[in-house]
Amino acid sequence: MNRIQDIIGRVKEIKPLPGTVIRLIHVVNDPLSTIDQIVEAIRYDPVVTGQVLRIVNSAFFSFSREITSLNEALRILGTLKVLQIVMAIHTNSMLSKEQHGYGLPPGKLWQHSVGVALASAAIADHLRDPNRNLLFTAGLLHDIGKVILNEYVATEFAEIARRVAEEKTSFCEAEHQVLGFSHDEIGAQLGEKWQLPPAIIQGIRHHHNPNAVDPPDPLVDILHLADCICLMLGIGLGADGLDYRADEGAMARHGLRESDLETIGIQVLVELQRVSCLFEEGCLECEGEKVGAGQEK
Amino acid sequence: MQHVVDIADMLVTNDPDAVLITHSLGSCIGVTIWDPEAHVGGMIHYMLPASSISPEKAKTQPAMFADTGIPAMFRAAYELGASKKRIVVKVAGGSMLLDDKGTFNIGKRNYVALRQIFWKNGVLIDGEDVGGSCSRTLKLKVGDGTVTVKKRDGEAQL
Repeated sequence: MNRIQDIIGRVKEIKPLPGTVIRLIHVVNDPLSTIDQIVEAIRYDPVVTGQVLRIVNSAFFSFSREITSLNEALRILGTLKVLQIVMAIHTNSMLSKEQHGYGLPPGKLWQHSVGVALASAAIADHLRDPNRNLLFTAGLLHDIGKVILNEYVATEFAEIARRVAEEKTSFCEAEHQVLGFSHDEIGAQLGEKWQLPPAIIQGIRHHHNPNAVDPPDPLVDILHLADCICLMLGIGLGADGLDYRADEGAMARHGLRESDLETIGIQVLVELQRVSCLFEEGCLECEGEKVGAGQEK
Repeated sequence: MQHVVDIADMLVTNDPDAVLITHSLGSCIGVTIWDPEAHVGGMIHYMLPASSISPEKAKTQPAMFADTGIPAMFRAAYELGASKKRIVVKVAGGSMLLDDKGTFNIGKRNYVALRQIFWKNGVLIDGEDVGGSCSRTLKLKVGDGTVTVKKRDGEAQL
């Protein structure tokens, strides 16, 4: 049982998300928030403000004039875009490290997380679900538990892989059996510690098993489908591969067809290439394909 | 020189020192072609079976789809002197999530599309490692045509 206490200890020790990010998540996820309230959540953090303005004024967006205030950035880009930038900056350092237990080289867990965030927002748009900002955040943080479990999975990988291969359990079921926790459970505990909105915590906890939620929760369904799309397309795919259960009920409940997932998959791949460019110095691909001013996507 | 073939991309070369590699094949499929006489090798990593879902995208990125990407790869190899009767074809990928109902079957449909294209064109598959639920890395050495597939449990020649 020592290991279980050890894992819980890790949750307690992990660095908290910056206050600015927590404030922003809460404000942006409230549909009644105004742009002024969102600005208020960020403006006292000079580092975040500076980062947002630097990215907004980068060659990637190619606005014809300089954007000098957060207010202007929010008006031109929209709240989702600004949330994407701030969240991507802050999760980049946390999620970009190698997760060798999961066979993920540096940058891959972040790539998968951004992919799921973009896919979640895209499915929300497709279904006209008003919670796209909430879904984007939940997507970005859905696998945060892997950062904590990484070392333990590395130690027990052979046994976890054996159970997956021989007993046909899913990877997270095997994690739970062998380690006492699965990455979705640990991720939800971390979300509680960070005091994330309860809807996001629920999404993290059940993203591999939306059927466990009664009554069904559209946010969990969408997050699950977004994860399925990214796993199938191999976006940030690790040694756990596709050994996760896919729930067709999550499709049926929203009238989604396979062709919808394919269309969203194409959209995600294109957007992911653009977002990744934002974080790579001097990415040449961006020079040929700049996003036009005022375009919100 | 190692060249990484990204998702929805392909590469054909007659550089004997080239090693073509593609990572993270999930439901996507990687195909390698190699002509031992013309010393031409090629690799594609396509993600979906049919371009009808997005004809626009197929124009700018044909390697995204089996039906536009595979013919484009063969044409590029022919231009470098490869011949259909000599080409050695190997295939990897097409994994599926654990899904009893078979709803999330992009992997299977990707493979069926490939078989149909090859059947219509009289192309035989010389080696394959498809299906299951694992992630694969596919590698082709253009110099000698060696193809390897790396999975969770190790690397093996195809």
